[in-house]
Amino acid sequence: MAKKESVTDYCETKVCADEAPATPAAPTGWKELYLKEDWWAIYLGIGIVVVSLLAFLAGSTIVKSLAVNPGGLKWSSLGQLGKHFAGNAYLYVLQLVCWLIIFGIPARIMGIRGSRFIPSFIGLYILSVIMFALGGWVDAQKYNMEPPLLALIVGLFIANVIPLPKWLDCGFRVEYYVKTGIVLLGATFPITLVVSAGPIALLQATVISLATCLTIYFAATRMFGLDKRLASVLGVGGAVCGVSASIAIASSVKARKEYLYTSVTLVVVWALIMIFFIPFVSKMFNLSAGQGGAWVGTSEFADAAGFAAASAYGRMAGSENTAIQAFTLMKVIGRDIWIGIWSFIFALIACLKWEKDECGVRPSALEIWWRFPKFVIGFFVASLMISAVTAGYAAPVFDKLVKPSLIGPIAALRGWTFIFCFLSIGLTTRFRELKAAGWKSVGAFSMGVVINVVLGFLLSAIVFGGYWTHLGK
Amino acid sequence: MTGRCSDCRYFENDPAYVEAAFPGMASLSSAYSSVRADGGLCLRASLFVAPWKRCGDFEKNSEGE
Repeated sequence: MAKKESVTDYCETKVCADEAPATPAAPTGWKELYLKEDWWAIYLGIGIVVVSLLAFLAGSTIVKSLAVNPGGLKWSSLGQLGKHFAGNAYLYVLQLVCWLIIFGIPARIMGIRGSRFIPSFIGLYILSVIMFALGGWVDAQKYNMEPPLLALIVGLFIANVIPLPKWLDCGFRVEYYVKTGIVLLGATFPITLVVSAGPIALLQATVISLATCLTIYFAATRMFGLDKRLASVLGVGGAVCGVSASIAIASSVKARKEYLYTSVTLVVVWALIMIFFIPFVSKMFNLSAGQGGAWVGTSEFADAAGFAAASAYGRMAGSENTAIQAFTLMKVIGRDIWIGIWSFIFALIACLKWEKDECGVRPSALEIWWRFPKFVIGFFVASLMISAVTAGYAAPVFDKLVKPSLIGPIAALRGWTFIFCFLSIGLTTRFRELKAAGWKSVGAFSMGVVINVVLGFLLSAIVFGGYWTHLGK
Repeated sequence: MTGRCSDCRYFENDPAYVEAAFPGMASLSSAYSSVRADGGLCLRASLFVAPWKRCGDFEKNSEGE
């Protein structure tokens, strides 16, 4: 093979070549504390929680004011909407500046250019305000205009119809926003619920993840004769956490880059389908918010897509919070946190069986830690923190004071991070750029999706249906 | 000659590069995530590998020395 002289010689696209760094990247190790989105999600999320707590204890309403959004207006005339914006213009400007500082500085530290992030984020913020405004229309729910779904559709339309420059993706950081949102979610999630519901969520998620992964793996290898590494990338991608899981397993088993192309395409397409399919089928079967959220948690592929679906269905079923709680228990606690173990097991299998003749190297158990989705630590810390602070309040005082002055503003800020995320999913999904997947891969993956969706429905709506319906009550 | 992928001239794991190399990755995931750890592309063999992997086509990266 002719020696290539530079990284860009291998690039298939100009964009890829443009992104090639001038010097090689050094191992990250503990530098991940400031180079990875997961850790920044913890710092930002806990930081917002601490500031909110301090403001609450000091009797200040600054955080509540800064969490302004038009989503709860129930406006019936444009004049009403206009009056809201005119009266709160300075708050929206201040809020934008705060978000730019909160997200922009860490993005720069992680290596994302500020000259690209800032204009991109400003555009994202303006679109988010519009999404919230549309969701705040008095008849929005009548027409199923749920902000998460609206944001996704608008984002997809813009990305696939208008030729946006690729550099704008610097501000459309899906995982960055959803991870920060999940840490903020922890602050509104009682730790007692995590302890009591966690085991059921873990049991249900494990049964379904194993069934899905094995279905995809054996369908891929035995029925379709696909390579075992491709089968493992597809299997864990479909069973655990989508593209993130595919990336982890791909590197653990030395997968061909085409396998990752295939998995990314299949996960993105199926995840988008599920964002709409599960909520609308849940509505057809009149599932409770908890049941719908649990089903999304077992059958969606990515946290970002899952929050869009759970949030949308929760609003349809009359309890967004319950749907999101059920989803979080199932997806984040039941599936996400185990990705390091899945990765380690497949790395071991690859080393002991698949790479025996290729100077295979045993993986270190530290892989489980390095690949652990660290933002989950922030979720638990936020939950423990707020649970400890609010434990001393009697129920009537909690409802009258703590909920509107502490929990409410944090939840509102979380809503902003989620809408940034949902818009970003749409804005970064360009169908024409997705690589084609072979029909055998499509077949194997789809078989796993069917098993996953059916089992997910059976366990969420029937076997544990009563449990999920009464979640948190 | 064998060596760790992380020390090889054909290994590339810069997060912006990885995201650009895999269209659609950033729609539902991120190369800046903990889950990716330090995984990256082997540009010689067209593989996606963990930095501690090895192979016989190793060539030491001399840049930065």
